[in-house]
Amino acid sequence: MTSQGRIDVAPADWEQVVSGLQREGFVLFDFITAVDRGARLEVVARVINPATRVPVMVWTTLPADAAELSSLSGIYLGATWCEREAAEMFGVRFIGLGDSRPLLLRASLGEPPMRKSSALVARAIRDWPGAAQSTDDGRQGANPSRRRQLPPGVPEGFLRDNPLDSDVSGDVR
Amino acid sequence: MIPAEAHGTIALRASACTSCMICVRECPTWCIELDSHTEQVSDPGARRPKTVNVLDAFRIDFGLCMYCGICVDLCPFDALAWSPEHDHAATTAAGLVQGITELQTAWPPTGPPTDN
Ligand code: SF4
Ligand code: SF4
Repeated sequence: MTSQGRIDVAPADWEQVVSGLQREGFVLFDFITAVDRGARLEVVARVINPATRVPVMVWTTLPADAAELSSLSGIYLGATWCEREAAEMFGVRFIGLGDSRPLLLRASLGEPPMRKSSALVARAIRDWPGAAQSTDDGRQGANPSRRRQLPPGVPEGFLRDNPLDSDVSGDVR
Repeated sequence: MIPAEAHGTIALRASACTSCMICVRECPTWCIELDSHTEQVSDPGARRPKTVNVLDAFRIDFGLCMYCGICVDLCPFDALAWSPEHDHAATTAAGLVQGITELQTAWPPTGPPTDN
């Protein structure tokens, strides 16, 4: 075990390491979730030893475009919900997860919403308050000489009618 | 009794705000809005007048704010601070939007030091 209750494991050792922890007394399962690092997806599970109250975080790293990992639901039944959630939110495929129904979302919504590549639609359809610029003395309206700023989470040109895109489309009628 | 360091609401010191827009752009819920204009001010002794931002309006929609404190942390000019004041109840959603006057009233006695 490494310092500060963190263990980093290869994906192939994931299930075995966690099951070893359970045998050592980490019988309380806390959660599983993931972190989108772009090309990599980190998955983390937290388990606790109730006798000592010591928690351990087990981390592993998966390729974002092939995120597959053994399910922990055979070790901790309660991991099922967390894995169903991580599956629909981050697009992790848990091998051996008995119940793979989506937990919160409808099936096949497209891009898992917690991936950074998933566009934040609510942001694309609302005017971004951050797009406002100081108006010059006596003049009204945004200063056109400044560089246009796009809000985070909205890919360029995501919606054609996005008011933020109006000054890049050349076809003014 | 509410402790002085309580995170009751967010207060603004308009005189410290430079209209830099950092809080507006970083707020995850987009609940801050700011209007400003630029003015030329000439300092005695300076060769040319300098352009400064003048704050016209600052609004926080407490119907959307999730009290994450990102705006307070990121403001480079200590113009935002946590206040133990509780934001006022309202009977309409629009009533939860607070402007400069309300946000200044909440400025906490324990907030970052004032320089004026
Ligand atoms: S506390 Fe968070 S949500 Fe509220 S105004 Fe500040 S940045 Fe926005
Ligand atoms: S970050 Fe601070 S100085 Fe900048 S606009 Fe917001 S309140 Fe004003």
